[in-house]
Amino acid sequence: MQFPAVRALDAVSLTFEPGEVHGLIGENGAGKSTLMRILSGLQKPTSGMILLDGDAVDLSSVRHALDQGIAMIHQELNLVDSLSVAENVFLGREPRKLGILDRKAMLEETERLLASMNSDIAANRPLGDLSLAQKQIVEIAKALSIRASILIMDEPTAVLSDREAEALFALIRRLREQDVTVIYISHRLQEVIDLCDRISILRDGKLIQTLSADRFRGGSVEVIADLASLMVGRPLSDLYPAKTPVPEGPPLFEVEKLTVPGHAQDVSFTLRPGEILGLAGLVGSGRTELAEGIIGTRPATGSVRMANKPLTARSPKGSMRAGIAYVSEDRKSLGLILSLDVVENTTLVNLAHYCRPLLRRAAQRQATEKWQKDLDIRAGDLDAPILYLSGGNQQKVAIAKWLEVRPQVLILDEPTRGVDVGAKREMYQLIHRLAAEGLACVVISSELPEIIGLCHRALVMREGRVMGEVVGDDLSEEALMHLAAGVAAA
Amino acid sequence: MKVGKVLQEYGVLIAFVVLILINVIFPTGSFFSPENLRNLVAQSAAIGIIAIGMTFVILTGGIDLSVGSLVALCGAVGILTLNKFADSGTPVLICCLACIGVGIAAGFFNGVMIAFGRVAPFVVTLAGLAGFRSLALHLGNGGEIRSQVPQLGVFGFEGIVLPFVKSQAGGPVVLYWGAVTFLVVALIASFILNFTRYGRHAIAVGANEKAAFFSAIGTKWVKVASYTLLGALTGISAFFVTARMNSVGTGSVGSFYELDAIAAVVIGGTSLRGGRGRIWGTVVGVLLLTLISNMMTARGVGTNIQGLVRGVVILVAVLLQRGSKSSD
Repeated sequence: MQFPAVRALDAVSLTFEPGEVHGLIGENGAGKSTLMRILSGLQKPTSGMILLDGDAVDLSSVRHALDQGIAMIHQELNLVDSLSVAENVFLGREPRKLGILDRKAMLEETERLLASMNSDIAANRPLGDLSLAQKQIVEIAKALSIRASILIMDEPTAVLSDREAEALFALIRRLREQDVTVIYISHRLQEVIDLCDRISILRDGKLIQTLSADRFRGGSVEVIADLASLMVGRPLSDLYPAKTPVPEGPPLFEVEKLTVPGHAQDVSFTLRPGEILGLAGLVGSGRTELAEGIIGTRPATGSVRMANKPLTARSPKGSMRAGIAYVSEDRKSLGLILSLDVVENTTLVNLAHYCRPLLRRAAQRQATEKWQKDLDIRAGDLDAPILYLSGGNQQKVAIAKWLEVRPQVLILDEPTRGVDVGAKREMYQLIHRLAAEGLACVVISSELPEIIGLCHRALVMREGRVMGEVVGDDLSEEALMHLAAGVAAA
Repeated sequence: MKVGKVLQEYGVLIAFVVLILINVIFPTGSFFSPENLRNLVAQSAAIGIIAIGMTFVILTGGIDLSVGSLVALCGAVGILTLNKFADSGTPVLICCLACIGVGIAAGFFNGVMIAFGRVAPFVVTLAGLAGFRSLALHLGNGGEIRSQVPQLGVFGFEGIVLPFVKSQAGGPVVLYWGAVTFLVVALIASFILNFTRYGRHAIAVGANEKAAFFSAIGTKWVKVASYTLLGALTGISAFFVTARMNSVGTGSVGSFYELDAIAAVVIGGTSLRGGRGRIWGTVVGVLLLTLISNMMTARGVGTNIQGLVRGVVILVAVLLQRGSKSSD
């Protein structure tokens, strides 16, 4: 498949066995998504063929793929919140009796399916009432209801808590016993090793190797590092750069008793230049909403001060002028404008700088090229929509567009979500470099190792409140988890 | 570059050229006389000036249905203001300023209701469609308002004498001020869209309003500015319409202008969903619509059926655009 930017996949041959959980790993831009889009009928390959039980099959549309029993569970679920669970499962194929919807059959069949998956979700509940994890189960039930024999899952655990993920793994294992083939894409190597039978590694659009997962199971950290280096194509030295001490001095950024109604309650903290503060907690603990309360995209009460001056204009624009930047976790819908090109995205926040009074595209381009070099942004064509960049490179642009206005405080929300190991390491180095240059950083992350490896200290949030602070050498998974889950420290 | 891509990108231009070629090969009357070409631009001017403003509104993801009624309101206030000063010999400029002032006020009101009042653009401007017309009728006692300043009517047929061009009768060819303004506004608007912060912000807001807001763009003011700009251009258009008639028929003037303007924007390749569009497309779109009307009239196609042809043109244009969306 030829994208404007790069060749996404290059002569890849792979086999999947019935009743196999097949892990697919690779850096962002390695071609995983393209491969999956082809298998699920969303995209046509320029050459090559797909065989099912020895016969070539036509996967020219999603419908064709579904007819062949190939279903994809997308990261963004394709469900309708206002319909019931059963209606979602049968969306587009509603059973009918004399032309009238057969609700009873729909409910019964859905309940049977959910029961076979050991789930206790009621078939008549509105989907909107369910948690993200439960919705995912509904999506899988939907795939099973059309008797899919091949299930493709794209980072299904990215939005799940550990317990929910465990339940998903149990479900996948049960599907394996029913001879369903599961193609499992994830950035979490440990998870892939534990769950999968075989693992295929893609790099730069080529298949590097298919390995039996047994080799890695029960292995130590080095084994995972081996796998990671196969993905990246070079040995991976320490993931996190060494921490540098925080320079002494008065606080630059102070948040006092900030309350975002329904999401965060009386949150206070201070930050010094050069400091990296972690905001840990489970998904839904109110960290993103707190950040949005700080920059003014959500209504909030309480005060935010920069260098002792309270912020009065509570909007992204006012915050930007005060020197506060927020890089959203939701890169695709909040962080970037996907249909605009790389140059426009990079210079969007700082556009005023390039107008005197008419916009100078050449200057915009020059600045973009500077960031491209500085942050190692790999983009084939700066004039192509940013949509074609890989996740890690998009993330770098999302940060660059804020560095353009030289902020003093940088709030990064899940900066490595959907980013592969190699790009993660670069991201960590970048954050350290920025901190060393005097930027005060807040890092919101659901990955505890990231908080521990990266931050000078961390606040742990639960249900909208700060449960405690862990500083320096005391940072450990146990300490953070106790606070995040609300269990008294052992 | 695939054929489909070219067709989608330059479809409106290709269609325009094809129609011109048809006229070259099968000429009717004196299609290529300088007067006729001048008339093509002149007839397009009133809708064209509005359609250029409409392009900005649609780019930000909005719509404005009130512009047709606003033409009547601007014209009514414009003439009444001029008549007030009729004896003192003030220039027609007074009328122009009054038209623009009313347009700006109405556009600003629409924009504020939409951006800050958070009412859907369709609803706000539908209210304007009813309200502005009603206000105009009220001012005109339900009928025509005549200008008491003959210079206004004269001004409607003044303009720039085109150099090196002779009419068929050998006289000079005048490009009316309305047409001149249309072309100048198009040039300035292209500049604004591509080379100013506001223009790029308008595209960003239309493409992804939330992301634009998170990028420290004052999205609400971008919208207010777009509706206000459209209001101002509607005022300008109303002035030229009024000048040509030297009066305002408050019940009929400007009727369906909003639909013609929206049609021209869409035919020109601006996405109704916002975030993607261009000024030159709108200009060619307006000229195309006028040309089609003229050709049909010249070839004896009944006025009753002309609407159908316009409808088909609009549909085909949108289908072409959509085809490109799914392929990229």
